[in-house]
Amino acid sequence: MASVSSATAPAGVRAIGPRQLVLGGVLLAGLVVLALLPQYFLLSSEQRTMAGVFMFVALAQGWNLIGGFAGYPSFGNVVFFGLGGYTTAILMAKSGVAFWLALPAAAAVGVAFAVLMGLPVLRLRGHYFAIATLGVAEGVREVVVNLDGLTGGNSGITVPAVGAKAVTSYPGNTGFYFYFLALALLATGVVWLVSRSRFGYGLRAIAQDEEAAAAAGINTTRLKVAAFALSGLLTAMAGAMYAFQQVTIYPARLFSVDITVLMVVMAVIGGTGTVIGPVIGAVLLQFLSEWLRTNYTDLHTFIFGGIIIVAVVLLPMGIVSFARESWAHRRISLLDTIRAYRL
Amino acid sequence: MTQFLQATVNGLLDGGLLALVAVGFSLVWGVMNIVNLAHGAFVLIGAYIGWKLDSSAGIPPLLAMFVAAAALLGVGYLVQRYLINLVVNAPIWMTLLLTFGLSLVLVNGLVLLFTGDFRSIPTSYGSDGLTLGDVRIPYGRLIAFAIAIAFTLGLVWFMDRTRLGLAIKATGMDRGAARLMGVKVRRVYGLTFGIAAGLAGAAGAIYGTVDTFSPADAGGFTLQSFVIAVLGGLGNMWGALAGGLLLGVVQAWSGQYLGGTLINAVAFAVLVTVLIVRPAGLLGKPYYEARVEV
Amino acid sequence: MRDLSPISRCLGFACILAVLVAGCGKGEGNAGGGGGEGTEGGTLRVGAALSLTGSLAKEGRLTKLGYQFCQDKVNDAGGVSAGDKKYKLAITYKDDKSEPDTAAQLVDQFNDSGSKLILGPYGSPSTEAASAVIERNGQVMVDSSGADNAIFAKGYRNTFAVLSPATSYLAAIVQAISENANPKPKTVAIISADDGFSKTAAKGGEAEAQKQGMTVVAKEEVAEHTTNVSSALTKIRPKKPDLILVSAHVEEGIAAVKQSNELGVKPKGFGETVAPPTPDFVKALGKQAEGVVGSTQWTPDSEGQDKIFGTAKDYAQGFKERFGETAEYHSAEAAAACLALALGVEKAGSTDPAKVRDAIAGLETESFFGPIKFDDTGKNADKPMSAIQIQDGMPVTIFPADQAQAKLQWPAG
Repeated sequence: MASVSSATAPAGVRAIGPRQLVLGGVLLAGLVVLALLPQYFLLSSEQRTMAGVFMFVALAQGWNLIGGFAGYPSFGNVVFFGLGGYTTAILMAKSGVAFWLALPAAAAVGVAFAVLMGLPVLRLRGHYFAIATLGVAEGVREVVVNLDGLTGGNSGITVPAVGAKAVTSYPGNTGFYFYFLALALLATGVVWLVSRSRFGYGLRAIAQDEEAAAAAGINTTRLKVAAFALSGLLTAMAGAMYAFQQVTIYPARLFSVDITVLMVVMAVIGGTGTVIGPVIGAVLLQFLSEWLRTNYTDLHTFIFGGIIIVAVVLLPMGIVSFARESWAHRRISLLDTIRAYRL
Repeated sequence: MTQFLQATVNGLLDGGLLALVAVGFSLVWGVMNIVNLAHGAFVLIGAYIGWKLDSSAGIPPLLAMFVAAAALLGVGYLVQRYLINLVVNAPIWMTLLLTFGLSLVLVNGLVLLFTGDFRSIPTSYGSDGLTLGDVRIPYGRLIAFAIAIAFTLGLVWFMDRTRLGLAIKATGMDRGAARLMGVKVRRVYGLTFGIAAGLAGAAGAIYGTVDTFSPADAGGFTLQSFVIAVLGGLGNMWGALAGGLLLGVVQAWSGQYLGGTLINAVAFAVLVTVLIVRPAGLLGKPYYEARVEV
Repeated sequence: MRDLSPISRCLGFACILAVLVAGCGKGEGNAGGGGGEGTEGGTLRVGAALSLTGSLAKEGRLTKLGYQFCQDKVNDAGGVSAGDKKYKLAITYKDDKSEPDTAAQLVDQFNDSGSKLILGPYGSPSTEAASAVIERNGQVMVDSSGADNAIFAKGYRNTFAVLSPATSYLAAIVQAISENANPKPKTVAIISADDGFSKTAAKGGEAEAQKQGMTVVAKEEVAEHTTNVSSALTKIRPKKPDLILVSAHVEEGIAAVKQSNELGVKPKGFGETVAPPTPDFVKALGKQAEGVVGSTQWTPDSEGQDKIFGTAKDYAQGFKERFGETAEYHSAEAAAACLALALGVEKAGSTDPAKVRDAIAGLETESFFGPIKFDDTGKNADKPMSAIQIQDGMPVTIFPADQAQAKLQWPAG
């Protein structure tokens, strides 16, 4: 690779100046607020709701790596979620392993499966890749259901959380608020680092034109599998925490295609390939979903589907890019998108 | 031996109907490179139309399926022409998300209209069957099989022998060139999707005569359509037929010899294996994967 | 794909903070319940997370009707008395979308708003998920529909089920047929769906069949929610069992009878859990449903009475007058759960969850639903299940003998 002069250094790799300090300050202030929220402002169940939001931030960021940066839309990311969750549940329930050991084990399983699955499946493109990942996710679920001696099958599996049998004491809603917050920060941090690194630029090159990227000397297979593995790592960790939080887990939920679609919708509506997009998407959609469920109980899925349709048609590039384009051109035009993308 | 034969017969009969369910899906994916996640919802709408006509107006399902097909032809055309056409040139996951949102709207619309109760369309010949030796061939499924094959053959004739069919195939091969030849691509896309939806609707109406259904079945139909489309090769009508029959038989055999709970796992294993080993499918052309759209 | 400009990053972060704060502000409005546990101004607030939407919406609705009926009857009788105070019963419903983790989350929300006394969601998975939260929060739940014995094998102390446990669903059918069929069936085949409740029920049925001297010639599992059981039936057909038992839910139950006829599998009768008493069963199968034996938690002929509902027949009549629908067992078990909770509060003389828990654990009473007495795991183990048979398109009680409205027809249909 030719050396890169500072004049053409990737944007974002800047020296630390006053702007960066202000930004850093804002971020720090935000973090302090989030850390203090549970104690002073949030009821126990609201902390649980927020934990769910943070979990989806982590999931959406995980998808962002493979779907947003690398341009490979995985429709089966939930397989890592389920594998991470079941690894944790099985280790804790059947072998009495503590959560802090089960969590890295789950992460390792996520990475290993991503590599195992990625090597054959990442050779496919576009829809074929999406369908292959979906097939793997559904297939793994069926296998988990059938290995019911190990996993409990459709009867579910329970992590011991109360009484003498509990290996690790249950952190409660406040504990999980902080665990999931830490995971969300980790996931966003990883994406931020990737976005500023050669790795990230390699992924973006692959997304734009894989043949050209390969011709420029990028080892596309290695980068794709690495992105997939990173995605699997984050998603599996989310699954591990989720399993502990829920205490009893079932295959239908841990491998549910709805979770995959939610993380994709969140990343897409927020803005794929950006750092803050999935965060916005996750927060917005989780709150929207809660609000709909409370206020429009009978119609909430119907309306949610309608919102997805509208969002995809009007804002396919995501909120972040839309905001940036509008700011840059000083006008808001939703119809431009349609004109650009329609047949 | 009897069990093997019975299982094979069961598989073939179910497979023929599955082929009709999937052929529209395969057509849309092959010609327009659109994966329609709402396909299962169309099948279900057809089933409900058949059920409603039977229970409210006494119209027999063999007639009702034409009504269902026509209704869904119209709905499909409108959906494609005025909704999906808006995102055809966007990154591919847009159509996936759009059709997913559409399926949520349609399936929940069905729940709101008809509730989640299980329905079926009773037929007078339903449970009687032909008995050949020890193998039993139920009339209901045999007739459904015959109708499914007839429709699929009809589609093959349509695609090969009519101008519209040729226009559809041309658009599928090279949209830009088809435009240059005067093909009105927007309309052709609409019609293709409409045809696919119509076939799905007819399949649904027939399905209602052999099995009970409820709105929750939509996802299952879509997933099976994936497997069959990939297995048989995209955009290829014979492929969908072959894929459907093969999937039906494989599922029946795995139910017989591996246990009823593994049927789905086997279907997905088939899907993933075919995608990895020969993405073009049994009868498909590798051309479709490498296609670049203008 | 340029990196974000600092301004948009700031804006983005500000947006998130704004949404969070707005979300919290909304949350404050939720916190209700001043005074004692879930009581405010003379109303006892009880929480119920129910599947009002989703795959179990139908059963959720029926459960809600049962809870509502109980609330009306209790308040008509003056309310729930706790010590020297009388409280109006007010049940708050929230939709769990038929998802167990949502049910658990809602129980947490009820806890935060002061409702410590909870009525169960629909179905074993949601009940199981909720019971974990109940135990942690020190709430008390009376379960109306989670029958899987596994829920009660975890050492939880705060969940009580008024319904007969899963093991009796199929066992009651076997007993009913065994006692009344002439000739008694000698061979039995069992088809089970692979979810927890069905597997537990199948085990109970198998044990009872063996106890009654029958031979189990085949046991097949099918995927939950399937409508195609032909592979199981093809394997069962050559064994020619006298009786086919199906431990599953509505769609598998319907498919089993339908496809048996298609494939020429002709036992002397069918026995199925869950499906036969539902209206969908007869509607979908028509004449083929004749003679199928099912089990139910309750019929209008069940024995027992209580001061709120009277006898089972009184309950059925009152229900019909109130809602215009025929009373069936989902609503009945819900009303019974609510009744048990109310009786527990009365017996405890207080709404304190720990006292109510102990009071319910010690309850021993009869009711329109049958006897209510919880063993030390929280199950209502002594309550018998009834068996019904479809005769002339209607489910008719055939077992136990003292409730039977008609005799078992055997061979069936």
